[in-house]
Amino acid sequence: MPYRDPGTPPLTSPTAYLWWVARGQLRLVLSAAAWGTAGFVSTALLPYLLGRVLDHGLSDGLTGEVVRGALLLLAVGAVGVLSNVVEHRRSVESWIRAAFRSAQLLGHHVTRTGDAVTVELPTGEVVATVASDSLRVGEVFWIVPRLIGAVAAYIVVAVLLLRSSVPLGVAVLIGLPTVAATLGLVVRPLSRRESGQRAAAGRLTTLGADTVSGLRILRGIGGEEAFAARYREQSQRVRQAGVEVARTQSLLDGLKSLLPGLLLAGVVWFGAHLAVDGTITTGQLVTFYGYAAFLTGPLDVATDTLRILTRGIVGVRRMLSVLAVPTTGAELPRPDGPDRDDTRDANPAGLGLRESTADLVDDLSGLRVRAGRMCAVVSAEPDETAALAVRLGVLGSEHRVESSRVRLGGTSLAELGLAEVRRRIVVGESAPHLFTGSLRAELDVHGTADEVAMLAALATADAGDVLDSVPNGLDGEVEEKGRSLSGGQRQRLALARALLTEAEVLVLVEPTSAVDAHTEARIAVRLREARAGRTTLVVTASPLVLEQADDVVLIADGRVITHGTHRGLLADDSENGRRYRAVVSRADAEPTTDAGTEPESPTFDQPRKEPADAPARR
Amino acid sequence: MRLPVVDNALLRKRTAELLLAHRRALAAVLLLHSLAAVAGLAGPWLLGRIVDAVVQGTAAQFVDRAALWLLGAVLAQAVLVRFAQQTARVLGESVFADLREDFITTVTRLPLSTVERAGTGDLLGRTTNDIDRAQHSVRFGVPRILVASVTTVLTLGAAVVVDARVAAALLVGVPLLVVTARWYLRRATPAYLRESAAYATLNGTISESVEGARTIDALGLGPRRRARIDSDLREAFAAESRTLGLRTVLFPGMDLSFVLPVVATVLWGAVLVADGQASLGDVAAVAVYALALSQPVGELIFWLDEIQVGATSLARIMGVSLVEPDRTTGSARPETEEIAARKLRYAYRQGHDVLHSIDLDLVPGERLAVVGPSGAGKSTLGRMLAGIHPPTGGTVTVGEVPLVDLPLDHLRGQVALVTQEHHVFVGTIAQNLRLADQEADDAALAAAMSAVDADAWLATLPDGLSTAVGSGGLALSPAQAQQVALARLVLLDPHTLVLDEATSLLDPRAARHLERSLSAVLRGRTVVAIAHRLHTAHDADRVAVVDAGRITELGSHAELVAADGEYAALWRLWQQE
Repeated sequence: MPYRDPGTPPLTSPTAYLWWVARGQLRLVLSAAAWGTAGFVSTALLPYLLGRVLDHGLSDGLTGEVVRGALLLLAVGAVGVLSNVVEHRRSVESWIRAAFRSAQLLGHHVTRTGDAVTVELPTGEVVATVASDSLRVGEVFWIVPRLIGAVAAYIVVAVLLLRSSVPLGVAVLIGLPTVAATLGLVVRPLSRRESGQRAAAGRLTTLGADTVSGLRILRGIGGEEAFAARYREQSQRVRQAGVEVARTQSLLDGLKSLLPGLLLAGVVWFGAHLAVDGTITTGQLVTFYGYAAFLTGPLDVATDTLRILTRGIVGVRRMLSVLAVPTTGAELPRPDGPDRDDTRDANPAGLGLRESTADLVDDLSGLRVRAGRMCAVVSAEPDETAALAVRLGVLGSEHRVESSRVRLGGTSLAELGLAEVRRRIVVGESAPHLFTGSLRAELDVHGTADEVAMLAALATADAGDVLDSVPNGLDGEVEEKGRSLSGGQRQRLALARALLTEAEVLVLVEPTSAVDAHTEARIAVRLREARAGRTTLVVTASPLVLEQADDVVLIADGRVITHGTHRGLLADDSENGRRYRAVVSRADAEPTTDAGTEPESPTFDQPRKEPADAPARR
Repeated sequence: MRLPVVDNALLRKRTAELLLAHRRALAAVLLLHSLAAVAGLAGPWLLGRIVDAVVQGTAAQFVDRAALWLLGAVLAQAVLVRFAQQTARVLGESVFADLREDFITTVTRLPLSTVERAGTGDLLGRTTNDIDRAQHSVRFGVPRILVASVTTVLTLGAAVVVDARVAAALLVGVPLLVVTARWYLRRATPAYLRESAAYATLNGTISESVEGARTIDALGLGPRRRARIDSDLREAFAAESRTLGLRTVLFPGMDLSFVLPVVATVLWGAVLVADGQASLGDVAAVAVYALALSQPVGELIFWLDEIQVGATSLARIMGVSLVEPDRTTGSARPETEEIAARKLRYAYRQGHDVLHSIDLDLVPGERLAVVGPSGAGKSTLGRMLAGIHPPTGGTVTVGEVPLVDLPLDHLRGQVALVTQEHHVFVGTIAQNLRLADQEADDAALAAAMSAVDADAWLATLPDGLSTAVGSGGLALSPAQAQQVALARLVLLDPHTLVLDEATSLLDPRAARHLERSLSAVLRGRTVVAIAHRLHTAHDADRVAVVDAGRITELGSHAELVAADGEYAALWRLWQQE
């Protein structure tokens, strides 16, 4: 555990899925059922043996007969004890296998779908399939062996009863399933109410989490009372739903006490008459009583099974909706080796490659990124260049169709296939996700970089302070979403991570939008050095970065309108040069030159003051 | 900074108070369960009497009468169980509703400085995981424990009533039971906590994989993420194996300690019956009681460890109420809008000042840009100027009244801090806006939205202001979310705003659309803008350069460039000219 390869389940129906899981652990389930049967049967035999001892009459004291009977009781009891614990171990194992296999399937699948999974389902629901549904599936495999044991024990008891008294045996044989069926009638509405309460409680947890997540805002601008009131309202709804569950549940509890109780009273009444008649002994009467009391056990298992199966099927259905989200195909299908092997598949070929040799050409915009050069694209509409960058790397479910219009070394990306594209072109977006784990694991995405390379990448991204801010340096932990880091630190860490892929073509979108000017200047110079000889495309409008680029390309309305070097374009007197300056230099963008349009600001913290609205200075 | 946790003594005291507040219901539950248990004990007792009667050759009428009594007991037990369970569960629901509502009320009243510093992780854990865990204990555990204890005590009592001498045999299992239970309970809590921590980690990993799906795709992180899921599962498996190992000792130990009394009852009963000190029926009844004991005692032990786990969660839930208020409200109210810092110092840890004696006067209506390297104390200064943290030395005043002496709702009308964090609350857009002004009517809300240029997209929503947003509702784009946040500021209407890199982390694509919205909000207000982009400074009335907790330069852009100091150097670098 976990499985080296969790396999490929059928997604056609919940039963098909459950059967597929069952086939994978059939021996375990059967062994658990065998031990369960042994455990239940030996427990059922205790009243029988007790009755026999009592029949031998205790009035003679500790006769050999009594001692033998007591020892037999002890021996069978011990077998029961042993069987119960082995059965418990096997059932739990069976539970874990099924649950973990399901969780593993889900967990692995979401790493292969790209952002399609978030487009189709809310994050919370996907997490819930692992957090609760996979465990529910496990429970099915926990209860089934127990059910088999319980049914076997019920049959044994019925047979033993039949041998002593046909009417009693028949009564129990018919009575117990009748009782189980009656209880089943209550179990269904109970399950419904319970799931109603769970849903209400889920909403309550969402409200609580929502309030806490936005607490800084609530405390900063007010409204906390309204939120506390809203939480209280939902909390009362959960309580009310709980009260309704309590009503049904207590009805079930009452029936669970009543129905077997009636059966017991009947058995005692009928048995006592037989004992008075001398048809059976008093010991057998005690045995009958014991049987009737014992049968509540199998009865509980039966009602539990009904409940667990219902929940399990619902859980599988939800799981299947996640597993049905298609994968991107960026990862080559695995031969049949264990999962770890595809680390090698995903490794960039760029690793160890010191020179890029293929130009990246985009037919739609007319952009040509020359091999081995650092190219910067600039646009008055930052959306446009960001979208272009993402398209060049065929990232995100929205860009699949256009990949035939982008060529790397003459071959279209569609022909190369997504796996090859990912291997050769890496896109670092402006706000990428950071993951929990050690700094080392965060940086070295393919497990191939050494410490020297990692420190070098951190130096290039000027992220040495990140190393200092976590205890234990590279082995220090990065919190979820990099929460413990500042915005600038997160961005620089993500840049170092992108650099470490050593990609043949590295596309960076606004890699320095959250860092200060000093740092940005350092990063720009080091980035150029670090990527010498390899193709780098940067979407930016920062003069500090543009200054370092070999080629600067200005894009407007989706097309390249001019290109050159930063200095060259700054000095360009033509209309295109003026447009370039308007975009890259805030200081140059006098309001008069662009009258009527919005001020250009690729990145900003605070808008320029509009002269007409400027408050009077003192 | 970690939030406090209550210690065991306080936990017991608080729990007792909580239960005492519900003492009537609690007494009813105990009474009903006791009666139900007594009714349940009638069975073995009547069986014993029947056995004796048969042995003595009594007539069939006695059997019929006994069977009728048994029937009566069964009916009584069923009815009592039903109402006892219902009362107990309703009690559990009520106690827990009180508990979680008190908790959330306390949370929403936490001091500003605590909220800013503690972050949301710890609090979020308490709101979700701890509430769930404690809930499980309170909702199911407390009623089950009550039932099991009552049943155990009464079963033992009944055995003693039947025949104290025979019942002595029941004690045979006690030493084994005590040893096993103690061994188990000492180890169970950490083992189960490890188990739930393992599942929490697994869920966190899945959640990250889903949220970061695009980054995983972009960087080919798939194998690494899968390895992480596998390692989480391995840990969960190890944790499950550990608790399974504990139960592998507990279960046989317990089961055996219930088989032993049955055997002992037979042997000891034989001795007593032979001596004529006990009847066969007594022995039979006690033996059946012995068989019946295993269920409630097993349940008791099973729940004891669950209760221990629940108690650690409860301690964390109750701990939030131990946070001391960070300020005491005074009665003075400011007459002017002038904000001033005098000899301002601040230390997150004692002796490690982040700000060293800062003096600063904000001119009403001005734009002040605060620039400087990372870690210089810019954000700390911003929070002081917004009255979030009480200073460790010196003062920040508005109209000569310290900011931290103002009641919170009054402070909010003076100065607001705008950070890069934006959160869309679950609810309607109107609810999101009314946080700033509960009394605002729909017209005021619409006006605020149009002031920040958000009226166009608002008009496209079918339900307008009543559109449900946030988790589970319509997903707003980051720019739209930021516009909602800005519209709230319009409603709040403070005279001073502190912008802490308010939009720097926003996707640059979104930033552009927000420019007009933000300038509408800033109009006519004093603005302190903490920034790393120099055009902010260039456009501001004054620039403050903060370095190592001190203001090293202060003046207009032109003055600072002329002064040829650090700022001038930075500016030239930026200009490249």
